[in-house]
Amino acid sequence: MKTRENYPHIPEIHVESSINLLLRRAKENRTTPLEEYVTTGGYSALEKALKRLTPEDIVVLVEESTLRGRGGAGFPTGRKWRFALSNPPPRYLICNADESEPGTFKDRIIIERDPHLLLEGMAISAYALGVNEAYIYIRGEYPAGYQILEDAIRDAEEAGYLGENILGTDFSLKIYVYRGAGAYICGEETALIESIEGKRGHPRLRPPYPANEGLFGRPTVVNNVETLSNIPIIVTYESYFMNIGPSGFYGPKLFPISGKVEKPGVYESTMDITLRELIEMAGGMKDGKKFKAVFSGALGVYSKRDLDTPMDYSPKGFGGTGTTIVLDEDDCIIDSLIVIANFFHHESCGKCTPCRVGTYEQHNLLKKFQEGTATEQDLNLLKHLAKNIPIGSICGLGFSAPQAIADAIKKYPEEFEAHLRGECPAGVCF
Amino acid sequence: MEKTNKFKYLTDELIQKINYYLNKFPKKEQVIIPSLHEILYVYRDIPFEAIEELSEYLDIPLARIEDVVTFYDMFRHRKNAKNHIRICRNLPCHLGKYRNLLKQIEKLTGAEVDGHSADGLWYIELVECIGSCAIAPAFLINDDLYDGSKIKSEEDLKKILEKYISENSGEL
Ligand SMILES: Cc1cc2nc3c(=O)[nH]c(=O)nc-3n(C[C@H](O)[C@H](O)[C@H](O)COP(=O)(O)O)c2cc1C
Ligand code: SF4
Ligand code: FES
Repeated sequence: MKTRENYPHIPEIHVESSINLLLRRAKENRTTPLEEYVTTGGYSALEKALKRLTPEDIVVLVEESTLRGRGGAGFPTGRKWRFALSNPPPRYLICNADESEPGTFKDRIIIERDPHLLLEGMAISAYALGVNEAYIYIRGEYPAGYQILEDAIRDAEEAGYLGENILGTDFSLKIYVYRGAGAYICGEETALIESIEGKRGHPRLRPPYPANEGLFGRPTVVNNVETLSNIPIIVTYESYFMNIGPSGFYGPKLFPISGKVEKPGVYESTMDITLRELIEMAGGMKDGKKFKAVFSGALGVYSKRDLDTPMDYSPKGFGGTGTTIVLDEDDCIIDSLIVIANFFHHESCGKCTPCRVGTYEQHNLLKKFQEGTATEQDLNLLKHLAKNIPIGSICGLGFSAPQAIADAIKKYPEEFEAHLRGECPAGVCF
Repeated sequence: MEKTNKFKYLTDELIQKINYYLNKFPKKEQVIIPSLHEILYVYRDIPFEAIEELSEYLDIPLARIEDVVTFYDMFRHRKNAKNHIRICRNLPCHLGKYRNLLKQIEKLTGAEVDGHSADGLWYIELVECIGSCAIAPAFLINDDLYDGSKIKSEEDLKKILEKYISENSGEL
């Protein structure tokens, strides 16, 4: 078996948990080997699933768990599975390990430190979904994760947890690991499917949805790494799962926190935790500076008023991937928006004109605010783009490209006004 | 290793890897991206001749492969240097002042963003989030990931870079 020394570096990322579910074996910076995974209770949920539960039992457990997708959109996992199950086999399961949302580094922790948790979750899910071939799509910039997964799959096959006739039953599962190559858009599920088919990662028009026509035209379920890693926990705990966390949003959640906190890292908690508490968990504001804002990846901006928002999937909640990028008084909202706008401009696949051109224009307009040449008209143009880019776009990238800017215009009007006057409150611009 | 196949860029070792993917994946087209990764690993970029050979070997039209190469950021035809430095410029690393790190790296390597150093050892690129925001500003040298916040002095950086110089001495 390969040891850690053979892999490229896996980063020293700080990890903390108040509930020890997803991160139980991931506190230390090393890959949990199969034997240790098994002696600490691993693969017992798979054994239980295959020998004592029907696929339908598992789907019902997942529905009752209220589990929602951890990849961003927060779609109820059980419902997604039902859609796919209403279509005839062969079906595919794809684990989305593209993890490219700015500020997001939670899935890599599971992959690098506890890969068998993900594999066990995939095996149980595949059994429930009547799937015999599954893929893990991992971003190209995670070379260690790729090796770790390939090795873990081989070990699990040798021990009878994957491959032919798993644990002596007639259920078989082949898991392929497929590497991306540096395109954020390939995290979008239909672009990801195109990429696995060996093409450019251009999103497909919907309908048809992947649950009806996905990989190679077959019904396909795409789930995030963290989503699938919840499955062994749900199968183990059954109704006790509903004691973990607040009503309707049960189960553990990972929060990748970066920016101006004392201890950036990945934190595991239940979803009744508020943004304020989460920042405290991460050691509070760095160097005792004042809180300014939180960017939830590239998708939204939260201000002081949102500090008591629970980190759940309710309409008022934080939702999404749990990504928390913290800004302090020395950081400028406009300057940060420029980084995000540039990102969307760079990552737009170019298929839809409003997204391709609109993301470019957003970046240009924000630059004018930074350089002191913006006028009231430019602010109106930004608002106009925020309304119209999503309308003319076919995928989630276009839908979310103006979101952070629109949020910031609403929550930080004073920042825009100051820049119009040629002043930067944080002293970053001009 | 002595070469037995007829190709110039697709060495026996590469052919072996490509065959592994051909056996592994159900569809031939699925082998394109994994093969390009292997080519990238050997050459640090995608030589045009290599994809001509890949097209012939897989019996997939060249335009089809070129289509893939031009879409994905990690694949490029440009001649990369021996060592590829990728510095993250997304928000957490921006807040972590990646620009200071970039300046230091540019100074020590003699390369600039999107350019090579004169000695052919270094190529610098700014990239989007590489999923390492807790160690901002994060950067990669080839496949190795580094925590920019741990680099307190020019000496620290020199120590890291030197590793790659000695590993590659005299070659390009
Ligand atoms: C531009 C874009 C990028 C995305 N990137 C990711 C990603 O890196 N990882 C992920 O799990 N989901 C990503 N998603 C969401 C996926 O499309 C999909 O909703 C998700 O993988 C479904 O899994 P879940 O239901 O378990 O969350 C992205 C969506 C868009 C529009
Ligand atoms: S919305 Fe943007 S990223 Fe999505 S398909 Fe259209 S152009 Fe591509
Ligand atoms: S923003 Fe630099 S690694 Fe995520």
